[in-house]
Amino acid sequence: MNRCRNRSTTAIAATVTALAVLTACGGGEDSAPEADGKPVTITFWGWAKGTKETVDAFNAAQKDIRVKFEEIPAGGAGGYAKISNAVKAGNAPDLVSIEYPSLPEFVSQGALKDIRLPEEVKGKLLPQAVELTTLGGKNWAVPFDAAPQAFYYRKDLFAKYGVEVPKTWDEFRAAAEKVRKADAKARIATFFPDDPTTFEAMVWQAGAQWFKAEGDTWKIDTTDAATEKVTGYWQDLLDKDLVHNDVSFSPEWTGSLKNDSTIGYLGASWGAGVLKGTLPEQSGKWAVAPMPSWDGKPASGMLGGSTFAVTKDSGHAEAAVEFATWMATTEQGVKARIGSGTSSAFPAATELRPVAKAAFDAGYYGGQDIYRLFDEAGTSIRGGWAWGPTTGTTNTTIKDQLGKVSDGSTTIADAVRAGHEATVAELRKRGLKVEG
Amino acid sequence: MTDRVTAGRPGPGGPAPGHREDGRPGPGGTAAGHPGTARSTTGHRTPSGSPAAPAPSPAAVRPGGRSGARARAGAAALLLAPFFVLFAVVMVLPIGYALWLSLFTEKQSGLGFGGTETVFSGLGNYTAALGDAAFREGFLVLLGYCLVYIPLLLAGGLGLALLLDSALARARRFFQLALFLPHAVPGIIAALIWVYLYTPQLSPVVKAMEAGGIGFDFFSPSGALPSVVNIALWEWLGYNMVIFYAALQAIDRSVLEAATVDGAGAWRTAFSIKLPLIRASVVMVALFTVIGSLQLFTEPLILNKGTGSAVTSTWTPNMYAYTAAFDRNDYGLAAAASVLLALTAALLSFAVTRLAGNREKKSKERKARKERTA
Repeated sequence: MNRCRNRSTTAIAATVTALAVLTACGGGEDSAPEADGKPVTITFWGWAKGTKETVDAFNAAQKDIRVKFEEIPAGGAGGYAKISNAVKAGNAPDLVSIEYPSLPEFVSQGALKDIRLPEEVKGKLLPQAVELTTLGGKNWAVPFDAAPQAFYYRKDLFAKYGVEVPKTWDEFRAAAEKVRKADAKARIATFFPDDPTTFEAMVWQAGAQWFKAEGDTWKIDTTDAATEKVTGYWQDLLDKDLVHNDVSFSPEWTGSLKNDSTIGYLGASWGAGVLKGTLPEQSGKWAVAPMPSWDGKPASGMLGGSTFAVTKDSGHAEAAVEFATWMATTEQGVKARIGSGTSSAFPAATELRPVAKAAFDAGYYGGQDIYRLFDEAGTSIRGGWAWGPTTGTTNTTIKDQLGKVSDGSTTIADAVRAGHEATVAELRKRGLKVEG
Repeated sequence: MTDRVTAGRPGPGGPAPGHREDGRPGPGGTAAGHPGTARSTTGHRTPSGSPAAPAPSPAAVRPGGRSGARARAGAAALLLAPFFVLFAVVMVLPIGYALWLSLFTEKQSGLGFGGTETVFSGLGNYTAALGDAAFREGFLVLLGYCLVYIPLLLAGGLGLALLLDSALARARRFFQLALFLPHAVPGIIAALIWVYLYTPQLSPVVKAMEAGGIGFDFFSPSGALPSVVNIALWEWLGYNMVIFYAALQAIDRSVLEAATVDGAGAWRTAFSIKLPLIRASVVMVALFTVIGSLQLFTEPLILNKGTGSAVTSTWTPNMYAYTAAFDRNDYGLAAAASVLLALTAALLSFAVTRLAGNREKKSKERKARKERTA
């Protein structure tokens, strides 16, 4: 008898505890302040420059939503692994930064929530950016910046060596030869073996479409003429020792910029802030030019660029979207980030470019109107490029192979082929239809 | 996860050094040695505590004896409990979970944007791992690594130990400590230090080599193996030297004196007397290094991430599992690769234990025969 009562008491206690835990977990879905008047708290993971300042400004501007920002390593440097593990473990933050190339991978894992972006918000954004965040007819993220390519160069050294700023890739090659002739140690730019996305942006610019969705089939195509052209071009630059082969943003790369042995950088709009932050002592010596193109007409791919996505288990999706929209499409949001002095983000929200331009101190570039240049490059971003749901596999494989290009034990073409094969195999393993 | 699984290799018990490539000495190796010891203790000391044994009638047992046995059983259970709890939580459970995970895979439909569905795939992940050239190449890399690393480690460790043990050595304590110090540096830090020393344009070492006319790119494909071996040597040479030195110190001095009296010089003593006498520890170090090498992970991973090194993300089987889980989000494949690696480690450990056992038996027999003939 005694024992019986004991047991039922335990059962009741357990039920009560379980209920208490359950209620505590089931947070409301609304972004309105909670019933007791306390603000909704959301967590945000990101790494882009100026994020902390943006979050501070948002928290100061209103009382309903508190954003807790946690800086994580850049996506490719471990940030994405951290996010996907957190989602699997059920303790992910509400909002995360994801770059365009990796968004489909997260969507395909089921890690994100459909955020149903209102048409009026979409209308404010660069169409190419909206296209890249709409997958399977749903909106998975708020695009923050567009990242058109740009060529940064040392205008003092270009003038000293008598090198004209190249407009086409042929001119770029000639300029590379001229630079090396003028100074045996100097090179016009760097090939980044660790960063397939830089190379993919080049291929994109040339008109390739590696991942195409047709019906419910993925078409993987890396053997087109555009890819072949770009691959051969870069292989030749490396073979002839006309560019450096260094890890992106590594000490070697920075060191070579500091001692004038690298005098150019093929990057994207956000690179303006990176250079400024990395090499403050070279202020006034840099200038920006549009990316050289194949036919002399403006053309650009997109290199990186951030979006904000809501994780699948977030209990405060609406608040998270509200904050993300604020960061991406309001004057205050953009001003706060770029005013931090470290970011040169080029907003996907077309109307806010003048705001970004006003907030960015272009003194580093001798007062050049770099945002007008980004603007033109932005409109020249080729549409039609899509990222597949296996960019993790594709890019890891290509990166592994590109690391071996330096001593000629493999070629860029073979690296691309390996990436192609790994992508097809991975899609098949997941049970998807593939051609290619 | 991988780490825990492979740490479960049943190493031969005894005072063996836990040779782990991730730079954390001890726990893995020694923990693996425990189960046997623990089990035998229970077996011997608390026979009456076993539930299978029929309970003796109270009258047949002296009251004092029974409560004594019970107390002893209780004490044993209490003392053993922490071990078994830990063993279950950090060893058995993760292995079981990895086995479970390895049987499932995630399938998608349409273009893949509708989320995933976990389906049972039997041994599908195992065939996928074994069918992947990158995974198989990982084992070849390990083989190459062992072939280069172990002879260097043994030769270097023995050489230093013999030097320290020789009559000529001065400041023994100092050198012992100085040579052992790198081992106190965690593997991750060691790898970071070496990455700095390998990086062209930054490294004083590379600069000095270039000044001397030796151009060597540690990050090139042909430099991958040497640069990892070098880091491992730096970490483990001193440690193994200490083991050899301890073994040398344990040699009966009268044997050495006899050798000297018989006219053996320092070289002769070292090669004909000392080395054969410490053969057991040399063999042990070699075998443990082979097994430890299976876990090669930290150093190549650091070289892979953030340097332009040709060390790929699937360079060793452990790295393959890591990449499968964290870059490709394929937990099933990662689990299968880990289980395969753990199986290899278990088989190798078993073979090594048998081999070492046989060897000991044979040498004892030989000794006995010699004594008999004498």
